Amino acid sequence: MDNTHNQANEVLVDCRSVWKIFGSRAAAAIEAVEKRGLTKKEILKEFNCVVGVSDASLQVCRGEIFCIMGLSGSGKSTLIRLLNRLIEPSLGQVIVKGKNIATLDAAALRDMRARNIGMVFQSVALLPYRTVLENAAFGLEVRGVAKDERNKVARAALEKVGLADWTERFPSELSGGMQQRVGLARAIAADPEIILMDEPFSALDPLIRRQLQDEFRQLTKSLGKSAVFITHDLEEAIRIGDRIAIMKDGVIVQVGNAEEIVTRPADDYVAEFVAGISRIHLVKAHSIMQPVTGYRGDVEGLPRATPETDISALIDLTMQSDRDAIAVVENGAVVGVVTTRGMLRGVAA
Amino acid sequence: MDMSAIPAAFDTVVDDALFWISDNGEGLFDALRALLEGTYDGILWLLELLPFYGVAVVAALLGWRMVSRWFGLATGVALVFCALMGLWTETMATLALVLTATVLALVTGIPVGIAAGFLRGLDRVLEPVLDLIQTLPPYIYLLPAIALMGFGPATALVATFIVAMPPAIRLTALGIRRTPREFIELGEANGLTAWQMFTKIRLPFALPSIMAGINQSLMMAFGMVVIAGIVGSGGLGETIYGAVRTLDIATSINAAIAIVILTMVLDRLTQSAAAVNKGPSGKGREA
Repeated sequence: MDNTHNQANEVLVDCRSVWKIFGSRAAAAIEAVEKRGLTKKEILKEFNCVVGVSDASLQVCRGEIFCIMGLSGSGKSTLIRLLNRLIEPSLGQVIVKGKNIATLDAAALRDMRARNIGMVFQSVALLPYRTVLENAAFGLEVRGVAKDERNKVARAALEKVGLADWTERFPSELSGGMQQRVGLARAIAADPEIILMDEPFSALDPLIRRQLQDEFRQLTKSLGKSAVFITHDLEEAIRIGDRIAIMKDGVIVQVGNAEEIVTRPADDYVAEFVAGISRIHLVKAHSIMQPVTGYRGDVEGLPRATPETDISALIDLTMQSDRDAIAVVENGAVVGVVTTRGMLRGVAA
Repeated sequence: MDMSAIPAAFDTVVDDALFWISDNGEGLFDALRALLEGTYDGILWLLELLPFYGVAVVAALLGWRMVSRWFGLATGVALVFCALMGLWTETMATLALVLTATVLALVTGIPVGIAAGFLRGLDRVLEPVLDLIQTLPPYIYLLPAIALMGFGPATALVATFIVAMPPAIRLTALGIRRTPREFIELGEANGLTAWQMFTKIRLPFALPSIMAGINQSLMMAFGMVVIAGIVGSGGLGETIYGAVRTLDIATSINAAIAIVILTMVLDRLTQSAAAVNKGPSGKGREA
């Protein structure tokens, strides 16, 4: 179902039952969680501690864009900071490239952050006293790369985000969208395998935002990077993510690709979210087809589509033909039939 | 027990302590005096290398480059005016005093301020001390200084140093402490060492505040240097003090004008230096 996930399933980030509890009595609360399995509410009541992330497990594979979607206070920003140990987990393990990052000493942790995991912030955090080029070269500068070399790499990264002409400007001279592009270039220039995106486009206006979403996806895929992308906007998650995790109150309530989330929401909370999402590009032929045996007409003359064809394309096919159904073909064999009724059911649901 | 005995006893202790320090630390204070006066003489010698019109031209050029063309012109004219009033030697002596005291105040104040910016505990100890220094009437500092080092520029320098230091400490500490959180996080996420965090993030963000501290120190030094005329500092302060004693109103006003000119020139120059360092608007730093 999820091609990217299946093709390259080398796990880069493996988050195993991670908890983060904030508060002065966090240690006692953790002990209680381990022994008695308290819930978030019970912990707040008994220990006056806030649970930021509760028993979160997720895996991010090489080349995958993994979105974490949740409203403010859902713990998504805490979760992403656990992945590069900007926040220490209270319980559980975060394994990056096969190493448990909790066991790294200060120098090894710095090295990992400088080389393997980049980060892009909602606030962008461009250093105001540096030019765009100097900002983009920041990660390499920190690693001690010589000036000519780091400027060359930074310039190439700025070119990739379409800011080749702005290298000598200062951040304050750039629009919000351009600033976020510099933030992205800064992360790419350091050439990490994993990029953590902390609501990078939330503060941008809708048009620029969509443009950046598409550019980001394209760029990440063409460079073969993995990304963890935080957002409070489900549509953004669907546009960008190969897989999406939905968070609520510190808990990951569902993980799946866009189609799975939209067509089979795990609970009422997710269902409420997906209610407004258009399914026309999400629902694929394989999930609305019926068995060939149930189709009363002649399968032979029907227009053909693959199981991965979305409803929008199926409608186009239907409009071009005088038949009332489409044959779904996989490996040369007809595996099912999509009828007009089926399509309508897929869109409405 | 008689209540008045307590303050009397306190006064005796303070006096005795001062005498003891004066008797036993003679070598130390002589050395300090030699150091201070040596620095002062060196700076004064540098300032007197050029004739008055030479200094005026250099100051005018600086004013033009750093502030504006009109400010540069006004600076040159104003300095020539100081010379025409017959106060050039005194003006340079005052400038040398202010520069010496301010440089000493900055050399100690900025590192202490950086330390206080990082160490909450140090800051908590320093805060009341700085409050005390800034609320006491400034000429108080002349008394122990004169007891230990006698009449002359060294005493004026010590008192001026004490008065000029607090703003440098306070504003440096403030600048270091106020690094925006998101930039600390940026540094952490990029794997910066503690030293890189300081030089590449904290210090650049603190620079405008530190520059404001330098400017404030300079202004405090100007205020004090005039008061220090009482202890024979030399320069415009002593001119004013002498003129006031003889009710020579014309001379005292002339000297006051010279001080105002000097203060305004240095104030504007250091302020514009602070603005340049803020970065984005400072076109001067683009190579």
